[in-house]
Amino acid sequence: MSSPFSINGGACVAMVGKDCVAIACDLRLGLQALTVSNNFPKIFQYGDNVFLGLTGLATDLSTVSDLFRYKVNMYRLREERNIAPKTFANLPFICGFDSIGCIDFAADFIVSGTATDQLYGMCESLWEPNLAPEDLFETISQALMSAVDRDALSGWGAYVYIIEKDKVTKRLLKGRQD
Amino acid sequence: MEVLLGITGRDFTLIAASKAAMRGATILKASDDKTRQLNKHTLMAFMGEAGDTVQFAEYIQANAQLYSMRNETDLSPSALAHFVRGELASSLRSRKPYNVNLLLGGVDPITHKPSLYWLDYLAALAPLPYAAHGYAQYYCLSILDKHHHPDISLEQGIKLLTLCIDELKRRLPVDFKGMVVKAVTKDGIVDIEFDDDKVVKSA
Amino acid sequence: MAMFSQNPLMNGPNYSFSDAPKTSAPEGSREHRFDPYTDNGGSTLAIAGADFAIMAGDTRLTSGYSINSRHHPKVFKIGGTTADQHDATIVLSVVGFAADGEALKERLDSICKMYRYRHGKPMSVKACAQRLSTILYQKRFFPYYAYAILGGLDEAGKGAVYSYDPVGSYEREQCRAGGAAASLIMPFLDNQVNFKNQYVPGSGEGHALQERERRPLSRNEVEILVKDAFDGAVERHIEVGDGLQMMVITSNGVEEILLPLKKD
Repeated sequence: MSSPFSINGGACVAMVGKDCVAIACDLRLGLQALTVSNNFPKIFQYGDNVFLGLTGLATDLSTVSDLFRYKVNMYRLREERNIAPKTFANLPFICGFDSIGCIDFAADFIVSGTATDQLYGMCESLWEPNLAPEDLFETISQALMSAVDRDALSGWGAYVYIIEKDKVTKRLLKGRQD
Repeated sequence: MEVLLGITGRDFTLIAASKAAMRGATILKASDDKTRQLNKHTLMAFMGEAGDTVQFAEYIQANAQLYSMRNETDLSPSALAHFVRGELASSLRSRKPYNVNLLLGGVDPITHKPSLYWLDYLAALAPLPYAAHGYAQYYCLSILDKHHHPDISLEQGIKLLTLCIDELKRRLPVDFKGMVVKAVTKDGIVDIEFDDDKVVKSA
Repeated sequence: MAMFSQNPLMNGPNYSFSDAPKTSAPEGSREHRFDPYTDNGGSTLAIAGADFAIMAGDTRLTSGYSINSRHHPKVFKIGGTTADQHDATIVLSVVGFAADGEALKERLDSICKMYRYRHGKPMSVKACAQRLSTILYQKRFFPYYAYAILGGLDEAGKGAVYSYDPVGSYEREQCRAGGAAASLIMPFLDNQVNFKNQYVPGSGEGHALQERERRPLSRNEVEILVKDAFDGAVERHIEVGDGLQMMVITSNGVEEILLPLKKD
């Protein structure tokens, strides 16, 4: 229970659709079983269409997300352009990292957090190839909501981002407050 | 058993901290002030390991004041909260980390928006409408969940705080010797007279 | 339970079984202690319908990284008149430690048979469910390491599913997943059987949304759901696979279906 990865709780999931990707997180910040905040987003934006979802120890979410923001800002000043490699601009793409930096390239979905088992079960059964943006939204939302309802350390609402070539849609999902 | 409470409202942030300075089973002092003013409109309350607390708080206070003197402008509550988090986060991975939990309350000098930041000794930072540290979390968060509203006035805020402190008096096994209560408003920080002699009978 | 996780502390396959590398023994000394339990992996699943119940389990039996059998059943007919169980009306699934599961099945079966001989009628699921709880609790301090699910038709002919923990806590439910992939399958069941997190489109906003009305699923729908659930679990859990055994309990008796699952 006192593993740094499950002190604060939290869940993240990303999915690939047709000409779009989706990324979603829950909103809980806890201290073991006590919920401290129900408004603690875990997805961070680093460009027009670059998003990073983080789960684990809350202090390290802040440290890592702030460090990336700093590096991305420095890159933009140095290069005088956004950090938007053409691969990002044209190719919907997701990947995952473990906490020591091993990349997991996935053609379907990526999950992370204290609800990984539940998310794997949901994604594996709900996801299908070539989902249109609205269908991808429904799929990722159902997957995340049902998964976090079976994890005591995640939930309390969610944010879902649908990233298309020319637009990003952010939606708040109200969830069970228990 | 230290108590730290924070409540935001329409145009203020209330910070309250217990007055007892404890060492083991002994109360050394019954008029301890566990808060430090960082600048005109930012106040920080702290609890944790004796020694670490005041050392860390006054280090932050000194740096906040130095910034204000050098730049002839104050850091916003948000900026200070992130500064404190940064210091605490680097301390966390050092040889001897500070064991301090903090509440940082303030009112933005430009927008007049009240804010409250919750920081634990792991340097987890969360902006919250109301917050507590220590055992007070288990007794007070549910009361605040039920009764808090972002639009409350200062009087309503103090009423809500009284509700929380009454519950602590009723349920905590140790006398925490009353509370230091301060309010941050756009005009600065004011001490709030709080009736510590009120007797609350246990259930 | 945690299989391959993003969490480094739980990373790699988790040794819930006994042959985990010993790290706590001091250098040079060897501890000789008999561990009576092994986790044989696998998963089970049960769903109750309006006039039927489906009990399912995979047929893989593992011990650590080894696959000991690809054809080991976890779902059993209980309380028929004879050993071939041709007239059984109750089905038991067990997952956890296979030997304990087998022992539990044998014990419950013989109790059901004794009941039949003494009373001249088969045991009701309700009575059988209570008896199973008693059996489990009698071994409170040296438990059967088995997660049991009992299925059948109740007195009104409705599908009934009872789920248990190893020491006999039990509850009648609409559906339940057990074993290694329970955490993968259970949220899927919440979503697809009880329609959790599904709302009527345009019926409101946020918490004011109206929940999608629950409706009993047809036998065909449930069979597809069970197969989908296991296909998902097989993909992400190394201890689940090989074959899917399904028992469909209707008023006409119990029908057994065997389907292939991935063997990797």
